[in-house]
Amino acid sequence: MSTTAPERPTTDHAGHEHGVRRSSRGLLVAGGVVLVLLVGLRVVTAGVGPGLLPPSLQDFVTLTISVIVESMPFVLLGIVLSIVVQVWLPQAFFESWLPRQPLLRRAVISFLGMFLPVCECGNVPLARGLVLKGFTVPESMTFLIAAPILNPITILTTHAAFGWDSGILVARLVGGFAIANLIGWLFSRHPRPDELLTGSFAAACAVADHGHATGRRVESVDLFRREMATMMPALFIGAAIAGAVQTIVPRSVLVALGSNPVWSVLAMMVLAFVISLCSNVDAFFVLPFASTFLPGSIAAFLVFGPIIDVKMLALLRTTYRPRVLAQITLVVALTSAAIGLVVNFLA
Amino acid sequence: MRDLLLARWQGVLLTLVVGVATLWLAATGQLVLYIHPRYVVFTVVMTLIGVAASLAVLLWSPRADDPDDHDHADETWPTEEPGRARRRRSRPGRAALRRSLLTAGTIVVTALAVAIVALPPATLTSATATTRDVNSSTAALEGTTVDEANAAGSSAYASFSVLDWAGLLRQTSDVAFYTGKQADVTGIVTASGDDPDVFYLTRFVVTCCAVDAQPVGVPVQLPDWRDEFAVDQWVRVEGGFQTNRSAESSDPVALVPETIEQVDQPSDPYLY
Repeated sequence: MSTTAPERPTTDHAGHEHGVRRSSRGLLVAGGVVLVLLVGLRVVTAGVGPGLLPPSLQDFVTLTISVIVESMPFVLLGIVLSIVVQVWLPQAFFESWLPRQPLLRRAVISFLGMFLPVCECGNVPLARGLVLKGFTVPESMTFLIAAPILNPITILTTHAAFGWDSGILVARLVGGFAIANLIGWLFSRHPRPDELLTGSFAAACAVADHGHATGRRVESVDLFRREMATMMPALFIGAAIAGAVQTIVPRSVLVALGSNPVWSVLAMMVLAFVISLCSNVDAFFVLPFASTFLPGSIAAFLVFGPIIDVKMLALLRTTYRPRVLAQITLVVALTSAAIGLVVNFLA
Repeated sequence: MRDLLLARWQGVLLTLVVGVATLWLAATGQLVLYIHPRYVVFTVVMTLIGVAASLAVLLWSPRADDPDDHDHADETWPTEEPGRARRRRSRPGRAALRRSLLTAGTIVVTALAVAIVALPPATLTSATATTRDVNSSTAALEGTTVDEANAAGSSAYASFSVLDWAGLLRQTSDVAFYTGKQADVTGIVTASGDDPDVFYLTRFVVTCCAVDAQPVGVPVQLPDWRDEFAVDQWVRVEGGFQTNRSAESSDPVALVPETIEQVDQPSDPYLY
């Protein structure tokens, strides 16, 4: 059974069936105890007055928790959808209607986000699910990049913030589609796409090719456990880095650059990288900047931000190798900057 | 063994930690310290689903003998492909770097998990107002226009927030416009540079969550304010606007308090 991971000391197989029953009830009790302890700790410590930490450290904690609390529902939503896709949809669900021609296929995949409206942090587990469901690695990247932008909620919020007239919404949608397909095409040229994945995720893919004997319910909960074990530490670390950068770097450094056609684009991309907001809400955030920053820089923020930021890199790191992430970041940054500069030039 | 156990359950454990903290914040009305009110319902619903799923995992998950089970190290700092791994492992510094990165990651995650559930919830302080520069990002400062303010009756001015006044001050520094307009505003005390006679009465404006909070503030002219108030103190100021007499201040018009008092932090500390 455990041929793919010989280095891992696993428990003995004897009494497996009994073990499931016996251990699970014990586990649930343990879980209940942990839950009660957590609630108790929370209620008791709530009485501790504020001012425990120096202001900067306190704000770092507040900002980091804010990133976690904001992203957590989307991560959960993404994992739930990923479980639906992996466990509950028929094996050939996507094969039955997706075109076979690679370019066309990726173009259609770009619009999957219209039916799976998750923002980018939820899309990482979802993309992992799609790879396990038979998507190629480049196709998963196309989905990952296009879906947060070509997504009904993102389109609605961006439209609510900017309307059609400014060209920002069009630049965002066209830019997201173009970059997603560009990245998909670039990495489809890779001779061995499996090498783009981290060792552990490639191993999980190999395992998933086995038959499923355990039943869908068990499979679902175990998938939830594994995805959360992967995503939560990544989310925490991404949030901590995003919180720390924002506590340390003065905002005025960026705002000072706002009216220069070239620097404003770069400044807004740096801001998007640092602030790590979800694509469903970032339009509202950037709206106030529209009066000081040129429209091209806003477009660059809205194209670059959903694809690459501090938190996303930590989450993507669970699935793709660092070298691949560096390549994606470079390509996306250059194309986003180009889109921003073109919009600034036309405006 | 303990590492394996932790690797197996860290996701569920962290979900329960965030779940308990989030639901408790929601139950006590403090979730708005971290996210915009319009996301509260969505967040609570998804959190309940997450906690329920975590308990379902404990009830139904198979035992730890499935092969596709990874530990933390594999996931966050995955192993290289075999050939390259062997080549790199020969460099002694690399393994040490990996180990220290893993340790640092574990420490950060653990510390945050404790902070989320054990630290009292807090609003952003003037430290962040300073790194983000009060009124720098013009924020939603266009909310109330001069014309709207003139059209509003004098009774409306009392309900104007720090945000409304900060927006008006940005639009016009004509003292005549402010004559007869009384402000009644609440916010935190934030220093205006080193100015001993002027501070900013500040609030954060939130569009999505505390991460994007933009500080807006009204300059308040109060000679030697540091003798009476500490930075980050919540205060309520009533008064009118006059020409700013502080030589150091860049604001031409400032609020001159008629009454100023310490107050408790309001239940909705951010503006939207």
